[in-house]
Amino acid sequence: MVDSESFILQGTLDLMVLKTLEHLGPLHGYGIALRIEQLGERALIVNQGTVYLCLVRLVQKKWIRAEWGLSDNNRKAKFYSLTKAGRKQLQAETENWERVAGVMGRVLHPQTGS
Amino acid sequence: MLAFFHTIAARIRGFLRPGDIESDFDQEMAVHLEMAEEDGLRRGLTVEEARRAARVQLGGVTQLRESWRAAWGLPWLDGFALDAKLGLRMLRRSWGLTLAGGLAMTIVITIAAVVFVFLDQFMGRTAPPLDQGERVVALQSWDAEAHRRRDVSRGDLERWGATLQTVEDLGGFQTIERRLIVDGRPAEWVRVAEISASGFRLARVRPLLGRWIAEADEHVAAAPVVVIGYDVWQSRFASDRAVIGHTVRLGEIIHTVVGVMPEGFAFPVNHRYWIPLRSDSFGSLKAAPEGVVFARLAPGVSLDGAQAELTTVGLLPPATAPPRGDARRPRIVPYTFAFTDDVERGELAWRQRIILFLVSLLLVPPCLNIAILIYARTVTRQEEFAARFALGASRGRIVVQLCVEVLVLSSAAGATALVLTRPILTQIGEIIRRFPELGGSLPFWVDFDFSWRAAVFVAGLSVLAALIAGLLPALQATGRVMPTALRSLGSRTGIPLGATWTALIVAQVGLALAALPSTMELAWGNLRPAGPGFPAREFLTVRLSVNPQSVPFDSRVRNLQAEVIRRIDAEFGASAVTFAAGLPGAEPLTFVEMEEGVPGGPRVRRYVRANQVDRAFFEVFDVSALAGRTFDGRDFGAAATAIVDQTFVRQVIGDGNAIGRRVRPVSAPRSDAAPWYEIVGIVPDRPANTSQGRMYVPAQPSARGAASPIQLALHAGPDPAAMARRLQEIGTNLDPTLRLETVRRLDEVYGETQMSSNLTSYALAIVTLSVLVLSAAGLYALMSFTVARRRREIGIRMALGARQGRLLASIFARALWQIAAGVVVGVTAALVLHLRLNIEVEGGWHIPGILPAAAIFIMAIGLLSAAGPARRAVRVDPTEALRDG
Repeated sequence: MVDSESFILQGTLDLMVLKTLEHLGPLHGYGIALRIEQLGERALIVNQGTVYLCLVRLVQKKWIRAEWGLSDNNRKAKFYSLTKAGRKQLQAETENWERVAGVMGRVLHPQTGS
Repeated sequence: MLAFFHTIAARIRGFLRPGDIESDFDQEMAVHLEMAEEDGLRRGLTVEEARRAARVQLGGVTQLRESWRAAWGLPWLDGFALDAKLGLRMLRRSWGLTLAGGLAMTIVITIAAVVFVFLDQFMGRTAPPLDQGERVVALQSWDAEAHRRRDVSRGDLERWGATLQTVEDLGGFQTIERRLIVDGRPAEWVRVAEISASGFRLARVRPLLGRWIAEADEHVAAAPVVVIGYDVWQSRFASDRAVIGHTVRLGEIIHTVVGVMPEGFAFPVNHRYWIPLRSDSFGSLKAAPEGVVFARLAPGVSLDGAQAELTTVGLLPPATAPPRGDARRPRIVPYTFAFTDDVERGELAWRQRIILFLVSLLLVPPCLNIAILIYARTVTRQEEFAARFALGASRGRIVVQLCVEVLVLSSAAGATALVLTRPILTQIGEIIRRFPELGGSLPFWVDFDFSWRAAVFVAGLSVLAALIAGLLPALQATGRVMPTALRSLGSRTGIPLGATWTALIVAQVGLALAALPSTMELAWGNLRPAGPGFPAREFLTVRLSVNPQSVPFDSRVRNLQAEVIRRIDAEFGASAVTFAAGLPGAEPLTFVEMEEGVPGGPRVRRYVRANQVDRAFFEVFDVSALAGRTFDGRDFGAAATAIVDQTFVRQVIGDGNAIGRRVRPVSAPRSDAAPWYEIVGIVPDRPANTSQGRMYVPAQPSARGAASPIQLALHAGPDPAAMARRLQEIGTNLDPTLRLETVRRLDEVYGETQMSSNLTSYALAIVTLSVLVLSAAGLYALMSFTVARRRREIGIRMALGARQGRLLASIFARALWQIAAGVVVGVTAALVLHLRLNIEVEGGWHIPGILPAAAIFIMAIGLLSAAGPARRAVRVDPTEALRDG
C-alpha cells in the first residue's frame, strides 16, 4: 500500500505543487501543503514535510523560485512562485497527464469510450 | 537536461555552504510549525494539542532534516570522503601493506608514466610548438608496398609549390653537415638546414636580428648567406649585435650572416644554422629525418581536403620505371608525424595503445599480491562489515568502501610516481641527447616535461590499480562474508581462504622465485663493480668518416681514410692504433650457428656479439690467446677464420674443444646464410664485464676504409688528451671533408652505454625486491589468518595438553605446503626462463647454483613471516579462546 502511494507521489506531487502555484500565485510551504492536503483528502501525502523535499527539487531545477517575504499576518516566510521554465514544465506535464488519464479511462471503462 | 545541470549546480552550492542550508531549514520549519499551531488554535485545540498536531502533520523533523541535507548536498562525495578517511586509518594501521604495496605500485606506475611521456612525445605529438602548429604539415612520397617513406624529387617539390591551393608556405629542407670555421678558430662540424625561404614564413617566428632567408637568396647566382641560432650567436659571436654582415666558412664556401633567430627556435628539427635551399644543391629531398617537404594548411582547409588535392596532383613518374610498378603515392601528415617510423598513422596509434596496455599489465602482479593482503585483512574485518550490512549498507556500498581504501594507497603511489617521473625523464633526456645522430639536441617539439596528459594517465593507472587490488577481494569477501559472518557474529571462527587465494599465493611465490635468478643475473651483469678488465681510460676512440654529401663516395674516400690511418700509424706506432666495425663492448649483436660437433648432432644457435677487426686489434688491447692463436697475415686473405672469447666458448660450445670448430652468422633466426668460419683461437673477454659471448672475424683489406664511418681505437697511454688534440690536427690538415669526430676516452664511452642498462637493472632489481617484500607480506597475512581462524581449535588442543611442536606443525602444514608448491612452480619456471633467455654472466652466478639459493631464500622468508603468527599461536590462552569461541 505504501509502495503504491509513494509511486503516485513520485509522479504527481511535483505536478500538484506547480499547479497550486499557478492557480494561487506565490505561496509559502505551509500553504502549499495545506492546499494539497485539502484537495487530495490526505490520500496523497503521508505528512506535510514531504512537500518541502518536493519544493527543494523544484527550486533546484529552477521550475520555481523561493524568496523570503511577509505573510498576511506579518510573519516572515519563504514564498515560492512559478518561473517561466516551471510554467512550461507544468504545461507539458499537464498535457502528458491528461493523455495518460484519457488512455487509462478508456482502458478501464471501454463502454464509455466507444 | 537543463534541469539536470541546474540541479547539479544547486547541489554543489549547497555542498559548499552547508551552514546556509541548515539555517534555511530551521527557519522554514519554525514558520511552518507556527502557522500550523495557529490553525490548530483556530480550530479550538488547546495550545498543547495544537503544537502536537502541528508536529504530527509535519512528520519526523530529524528524518526530514537528513533528507533535506541529502537533497542539497553531494551524498556520494560525503561517502567518498568518509571512505577515504577510513582508508587512511587502515593504511596507518597496516603499515607493512602500505610500505610493500605502495612501493610496488609506485615503481610500476613510475615506469608506465615514463613510457607514456616518451610515447606521447615521440609518437603522440602532432602539433609542433609553433603558431597554429597543428596546421603545419609534411608532404611525403609514401611507398605503400614497401611501407617506406621515399625521397621527394625536386620536380615534385616545385610542382606542388606551384599548383597546390589547399596549402601555403610550401617548401623543403634537408640537413647537411659542414665544417664551420669562424674567425680562424678550430673547425667544428655542424648540422646545417638547407631550407626554403618559405620555411621561416611558415614558422612565423621573427628574427632577433637582421632578416630571414629570402626567396632571392635561393637563386643559384645569389651571394651565400646564413642565418644563425641564438646560442650560436652567444657562443660564437659573444652576443655581438653587430654580427650581421660577418662572414663564416661553411665547408669551402664563405657565407655572410644575415640574421639571428630568437632563443629556442630550431625549426625544422633541431637546427642552429640555416642556409638557402638552392635548386642546384639537390636532385631530390631525402626522406625524413634528413629532409622533409613542409607546408601550412590554407585557412579553412582540413588535412583530408589537402590530401584530396595532393592525391589529384600526384607524383611525377620515377626516372627509371621500377620493375613491379610504382607503388608510391603522395600523402600529407601532421608535421611531427613525418619524423616517426615508417608507419601509417592508424598503425602508430595502435602501436602506442598496445605498448601502453602492455606496460599497464605490469600493474597486475603487484596488485594481485596486494589483493591477497587486502583479502586477508577483510576476512579479519568481517564483523565490521557484517555490522554495516545489518544496519542497511548494501553490498555495493561495502565494495565501494574497500575499493576507496585501496584507492587511497594507489593514489599515494601515483602521487609519488608523479614526483619521481620528472627527474627520471630529465636523466633520460640527457642520455638521449648524447646520441650523435641527434646532434646534441632533440627535435624542438620534444619536451620531456610532465604533461597534464601524463598526469591523467597516472591518475587512471591509480584507479586501475585500486580496481585490480580492491575489487576482487571486496567482491569475494562481501559475497561470502556476509551470510557467514552474520551467523558467526560474536564467535571467533571465520571463513576460510578459498582456492582462488591459495592459487594466488602459490603463484606469487612461484613468480618471485622464477623472476629472482634471471633478474639477479641481469642486474649483476650490469651493476657488478668489475671493470672492463683493461685500462679503458688509456684508450681513445674516434669515429672516422667522410661527409658523403660533400664528395662522391669513391676510391678517393677510401684513400683518404687509409691515409689517416697511415699517418696515425707513423706518429703513434702501428701497435697503438686499430680499427674495427664496433668498439669492444658495443659490437653489433649477431645470430650465429655452430656446426654440429658430431654429424647429425644438434646445431647450437644463439646471439653473440660479432666484430670485424684488423690485425693490430688484439695487440692494441693487449690480448693474447688462451688457446690457439690471434690473427696474423694468413687470416687477412681468403681464409675464413674466427677468434672467440671465453664467454662464447662457455655459452655456445660448452665443455668441448673449440679450436677447429666452425661457426657462421645467420642473418635471422630461421634463415640460412654465410660461409663458415673456423675458430683458430680463444681469447679472454674484452671487456670482462660482459654477459654475451664475442666472436671476432678479420676485416678484409678491401674493407679497410671502405665503410663510412669506421671506428678507430688508439692506445694513447697515460695522456689521452694530448693525443686527442694531435688527432684533430691530423684531420684538419689532411682534408676539409674528412671527419675525426667524437674523440672520446673508452671508459667514458663505457660509462654512458652502461648508464641506460644500469637504469634498467635498478628498475629490475627494485621490482624484484618489491615482489619479494610483497610475497613475504602475503605469507605473513596468510599465517596470521590461519592462526586467527583456528584460535578456538588451538585453545581446545592446548587445554587437552597438546605439545607445542605438534601444534605448530599442524597449524602451518597447509601454509608450508603452499610455499613448497610455489617453490616447485618457481623453480620450473626459472629453469624454462633460463633456457629461453640464455642469461648468464661470466664471473657471476649460474642458474644451477643460484636456484637453490633463491629457493632457500624464499622458504626462509616464508618461515620468517610465520614466526610472528606462530608465537601468537602458542601463546593462545586456552580459557580465553574457549570463552571467545
